[in-house]
Amino acid sequence: MPFALLAVSGGTALTQQKGEAMLRAVKKWAALVLCLMAGGTLANEPVKIGLITALSGQSAQAGESITRGLQVAIDEINASGGVLDGRPLVLVRRDDEANPAKGVVAARELIHKEKVAVLFGGLDTPVSMAIVPLVNQAKMPFVGPWAAGTPITKNGADPNFVFRVSAMDEIVDIAMVEYAQKNFGARKFGLMMVNNPWGESNQKGLVAALKDKGLEPAASEKFDGDQVDLVPQLTRLRDAGVDTICLVGNVGPSAQVVKSLRRMGWDVPVVSHWGPAGGRFTELAGPGSEKVHFIQTYSFFGDQSPAGEKVIAALKAKYKDISGPEDITPAVGVANAYDALHLAALAINEAGSTEGEAIREGFFKIKEYQGLIKSYQQPFSPEVHDALSADDYVWARFIDNRIVPVVLSQ
Amino acid sequence: MKYPHVMLLAALVAVAMVCTFSLNSYYVFVLANVALITIVGVGLNILLGLSGQISFGHVGFYAIGAYTVAVLTTQAGWSFWPAWLVGALFSGIAGALVALPALRAKGPYLAMITIAFSFIVQHAVIEMEGVTGGQNGIMGVTAPVLHKDWSPEQNIAVLAVLTAAAMLLVYALISRGTWGAAMRAVKDSEVAAESVGINPLAAKTMAFALSALMAGLAGGLFAPLSGFVTPDTFSFMQSILFVLVVIIGGAGFIAGPVIGAIILGVLPELLASLESHRLLFFGGLLLVVLLVAPNGLMGWLTAWMGRRAGNGATSPLPSDDAAPVLDARPRHGLKVRGLSMTFGGVKAVSGLNMDLPAAAVTSLIGPNGAGKTTVLNMLSGFYRPTDGGFSLTDAALQTEGAWRIARRGVARTYQTSQLFDSLSVEDNVALAACRGHLGTVLAGGPFRSRTVRQRARALLAFCGYHGDPTLPASQLPHVDRRLVEIARALALDPEVLLLDEPAAGLSREDTDQLGDLLKAVAAAGIAVLVVEHDMELVMSVSDQVIVLDTGTLLATGNAAEVQANPQVRKAYLGDSGDLMVTESRDPPQGPELLGVSRLVAGYGAEPVLHGINLKIRQGEMVALLGANGAGKSTLMRVLSGLHPAQSGGVHLNGEVLNTMPAEKIAGRGVVLVPEGRQVFPELSVLDNIRLGGFLHAEDREVRVQGMLERFPRLRERQHQRAGLLSGGEQQMLALARGLMAKPRVLLLDEPSLGLAPKIIAELFEVLDQLRREDMTILLVDQMAALALALADRAYVIEGGRVVAQGTADEIRANVDLANAYLGNAAPTPATG
Amino acid sequence: MDIQLVSALISGLGMGSMYGLMALGFYITYAVSGTVNFAQGSSMMLGAVLCFTFSQTLQWPLVPAVAMALLCCAFYGLVVEFLAVRPFTRRGSDAWLMSTVALGIVLDNLVMHTFGREPRSLPSSLAITPLEVAGVNLAVYPLQLIIPLVGLSLALVLHGVARYTRWGTALLATEQNKDAARLMGIPIGRAIAGAFALSTLLAGVAGMMIAPLSNVNSDMGTLFGLKAFSVAILGGIGSPWGVMVAGLLFGVAESLITVTLGSGYTHIITFALVIVALALRPNGLFGRAGVKKV
Repeated sequence: MPFALLAVSGGTALTQQKGEAMLRAVKKWAALVLCLMAGGTLANEPVKIGLITALSGQSAQAGESITRGLQVAIDEINASGGVLDGRPLVLVRRDDEANPAKGVVAARELIHKEKVAVLFGGLDTPVSMAIVPLVNQAKMPFVGPWAAGTPITKNGADPNFVFRVSAMDEIVDIAMVEYAQKNFGARKFGLMMVNNPWGESNQKGLVAALKDKGLEPAASEKFDGDQVDLVPQLTRLRDAGVDTICLVGNVGPSAQVVKSLRRMGWDVPVVSHWGPAGGRFTELAGPGSEKVHFIQTYSFFGDQSPAGEKVIAALKAKYKDISGPEDITPAVGVANAYDALHLAALAINEAGSTEGEAIREGFFKIKEYQGLIKSYQQPFSPEVHDALSADDYVWARFIDNRIVPVVLSQ
Repeated sequence: MKYPHVMLLAALVAVAMVCTFSLNSYYVFVLANVALITIVGVGLNILLGLSGQISFGHVGFYAIGAYTVAVLTTQAGWSFWPAWLVGALFSGIAGALVALPALRAKGPYLAMITIAFSFIVQHAVIEMEGVTGGQNGIMGVTAPVLHKDWSPEQNIAVLAVLTAAAMLLVYALISRGTWGAAMRAVKDSEVAAESVGINPLAAKTMAFALSALMAGLAGGLFAPLSGFVTPDTFSFMQSILFVLVVIIGGAGFIAGPVIGAIILGVLPELLASLESHRLLFFGGLLLVVLLVAPNGLMGWLTAWMGRRAGNGATSPLPSDDAAPVLDARPRHGLKVRGLSMTFGGVKAVSGLNMDLPAAAVTSLIGPNGAGKTTVLNMLSGFYRPTDGGFSLTDAALQTEGAWRIARRGVARTYQTSQLFDSLSVEDNVALAACRGHLGTVLAGGPFRSRTVRQRARALLAFCGYHGDPTLPASQLPHVDRRLVEIARALALDPEVLLLDEPAAGLSREDTDQLGDLLKAVAAAGIAVLVVEHDMELVMSVSDQVIVLDTGTLLATGNAAEVQANPQVRKAYLGDSGDLMVTESRDPPQGPELLGVSRLVAGYGAEPVLHGINLKIRQGEMVALLGANGAGKSTLMRVLSGLHPAQSGGVHLNGEVLNTMPAEKIAGRGVVLVPEGRQVFPELSVLDNIRLGGFLHAEDREVRVQGMLERFPRLRERQHQRAGLLSGGEQQMLALARGLMAKPRVLLLDEPSLGLAPKIIAELFEVLDQLRREDMTILLVDQMAALALALADRAYVIEGGRVVAQGTADEIRANVDLANAYLGNAAPTPATG
Repeated sequence: MDIQLVSALISGLGMGSMYGLMALGFYITYAVSGTVNFAQGSSMMLGAVLCFTFSQTLQWPLVPAVAMALLCCAFYGLVVEFLAVRPFTRRGSDAWLMSTVALGIVLDNLVMHTFGREPRSLPSSLAITPLEVAGVNLAVYPLQLIIPLVGLSLALVLHGVARYTRWGTALLATEQNKDAARLMGIPIGRAIAGAFALSTLLAGVAGMMIAPLSNVNSDMGTLFGLKAFSVAILGGIGSPWGVMVAGLLFGVAESLITVTLGSGYTHIITFALVIVALALRPNGLFGRAGVKKV
């Protein structure tokens, strides 16, 4: 685009005549405004980070938490000079309305029109699954801070451009079974799965995890997210002699399970995926919410590492609705996204460019990163695209409205 | 086919192709998506725009297409092409099945059926996990390869654009062919469609099946375009967006879905950078677009360009006078034996025997409520007789449906003409000429054939229509609507022609021409049955006159015999001998209270009232006389504000009334007791009376008691539902209700209609009482004797004009009422 | 098993009476104006969200909070009529079907941005401890017994208002014969606006009643509104008691299907039953077929 070229050369002419400050200002504006249209290259043209997640509807809160984790990390990186010798990061978000079809369009837009360097996203496994073939074909690094579906990273593509800093259903399911056996001596497992893709894939994962232990579920039930009365399903579980419930559902539906349990007067241990952590579970579920043990990748409650303190402070400063750890919900979204972005920034720096294949290689070159969730040592390799493993999971439950790691509460 | 449309389509396709091969994959994807939405939109346009049905479940058909392709190509290993066709076929079949309840369920009920259908599809997909992959759907659906150098989305985009273009052509072909005309006909008037031999179920089912088929085709392309299918993608909201495509673009316009699809496919992308505010703005913008163009952007555009939204103007055909318009073949008359009809215990028609001979005009006359229209409705198959029957040859017809009877050769017209308003004049006739045989879907069918077109024009000319045959029927003036409707009925080449009040609202001159037409039709061998109030017409054209009173045969004979029959005269004019006013009085000479000046009003293009002038003095009782169709009821409705005046004025004590809404006029004290009582049937008698005092709550209960004293029969029934009262009681109730509104002028429309003589006498006393109380009353009653016995003065209206006025005595003495009521062919014995 | 059936029956009746209440809202506007707010689920959500905002966020006492929330709902009904219905009916367009949906999208997203994305809980002391009869846990909260009572008594109150007040009978009259109602001086325009306000208010009540059993968030009403619409249609949209009975039937059927077959089939079977019912009785279970006009 000749207009943009003119502006760029004009900028170059100015450098020779005016001072440093002027140079920066002009370059910054030229970069921000004109190069968006021209697609040209400048020394500190921003590097775009794409995010596709649900920003409306039932999962909007989780989408917002991912946004916040990414944004806080971006602010940190930009404050310390950006990536690739001074290029700032900017976040470009798109709403997928939890609909894979919308997610795919948004992914195409971010890849081909916005030309992002790294794509984050996929709150819902089906949305991620729909995007995966696209990013592998377009050679676009795709980092998952949330969706836990196993085949997202194990997608069989070579080269595989998909990375994840989050839990993986298959592993969570094994962890749930083991935790239930260890803590509650569970023998007869009852599965209570929300009727959505997430619930369905965990149902399979749990059955497989139980099979490895030579068990099978005593009963397995589905329930709809907006169902008010879950007593029928839970009664069937009880009639099957279930001694521990494995629960997979978002915060609202999980709360419905607790309420219905209370109504039935059935006191049974509940081991859950991370659903209850996303929101005000105690307020929603009322008495009995403390009985639900759920998996977390990180807790903002209790003693924090320096990274933790820093993130909480940054969140409080940036978002006026956050006044303490209880407002950082869902915590996993913030924490995973925060670490994932730092890792991606390291990968970009390792790559030395914003070119997709180089960034993919860059992920493998990351040696060490002191993160929020843990200290990452060589987190990725051509074989390992998941930065977190079973060792990184934390079991937690709600005490009042605080998420407290189970070890601490006992 | 108009070439500009084809050129435009070709240009659009060319632009889309250029985009496909020059833009990056994102834009190609969006383009392909717009093409897919267009395909669904074209399908919905057939349903909504042509057949007038709505579906909020099209995502179900879309899902069936998509899942069939996904399952067959991934799990069964089929190649894309057969899978695509099978998917579309499945969708089409599902569409036809969903359409079946549409035979009976309409409007919101039908919408609900489609919604339920789409939910069932979505949840069945979730539950059939083994085949459909359940909630997580099926991934890795690959695109068909048209050219190996093209990317998957380019392949699909090309295929989708070409398919969309093909579907637009299909729409154009259907829309201009017999099927399209039949669908429009069903939308405009299902009843009239049946009476030209169209089976509405066939038209509706076809529309549903085609529409579902197209949604299935689009769905079959959606699967490989996105590479996956999951149940979430096929949510209810998507159905609503599909309907929006058609509504925003403009239902019934060929380009509507294209415009709608572009807006609904591109707008969300333009708004994408609003991130979480996208849906908010999307909803808001939709609302704005709908407010600006409630009938779609195409509707708005055509209105703005001031062009007629026509369906393909036809080139003028040379008229071919050589062939006779109506075949002079021998035809069958209609034999009616013991025909009876009972509605909820009331015998509307009992044991009617009559013969309608071929090549003759038979008139069926009788006072209002005699059961004439009921007879017509039975003979044309809309009511099934409770007893008795009728036949053309030997086969009994009474058990057949309306469209079958029409195909056997019984044609009819309607009291309020029921033309297919969205079709042109010529298309109306040409469609009827197909006699319900619609041919194959895409072929133009007989509807487009030259012979049918020539015949249609010839029939129009035969019936005296000399206007533009390409004019939409909705734009016709009243007279022409009548003529075109007769031409349409004759296009069936019927054995029998039934006409329901063909002269209503026609001028004398037009009526005379109508008479000639009816004789000409009979001369061609057709048996003609006319139900008519215009006695002049009846007497001049009839070979046979049949008089019906309260559902039974009163008299049969030729015109003169019937006119001379004293029973007939009494049934029509009433017998003033029974009715005596308690005291006669001089006409009140108070100030003018209600004035009507040069009032013009009507329905559609042709006025019914041509400049009416009248005035009513304070305390006066004025009668308004005239035959049916003279415009009396229209005048009453205009006075009360229920019907707008076109020009002229109505004044009450100098205040202009005719610009006020009805509820305001009632507040001013001009109170109409409407024709047919119109009590609130589900409310109690007391509540009905109370509602009369809606605007005067202050002393309501006291006045309610007053009404119960005035009408003792109502007191006995005060807690009953008004709908259970007898006709006479309902009339008393309507009066009481009207009086509660503190009338300054009481307008009474046909109070004696359908009442037994004894009740009429009672009513007469009540009215006499009101007269003595110096209530100002304008009375319309077809019992002229009754009206004149009460009234101080009277006006006689004919053809929407006042033809005589004077005191009641003058009118009685000087105006030949029998002339107005029974036709001037009658001998004129002194009346009254 | 018996207890379970009782519990299912009670919660079915509760949900059913709320479907019925919302469906009554559809009935009222349809009867008076031939239109409905197709996004009535949003009105229900508004009731719950406002009740939460006033009683929890602003800490108002319950009664003024509920009253204010209902007032706002009624006002929203007027807005719907003014913005999304009247402009279309006046021009003889059916696009109100779409415009009410568009307005619903706007409201849902406005609420999401103001109220927040997190589901919240409207606490109720009636939904904490389940009922016990003779030491047997019925697995039912007291609120669940109260909901059908409130639903049915509201229907009764409505019935009373319609029968015994001046404006109530005026609405009935408008429904039965529009022209005759105008001749009585009943202002149809205001009657229609009033019907929309009332209908939205009823949806708001349903939202508030359901909220303590469920969660409050911006899209809580979508599916509920749609089910209420099917109830209205199923009942035959011209018959108030038919609508209420259809609501109860729908709620109980839903809950019994969940108990016996599992929730996966609930939608499939209930909606299939809707289709079958409409195919057999095209004017709804309790609707009266009009005499075919020719």
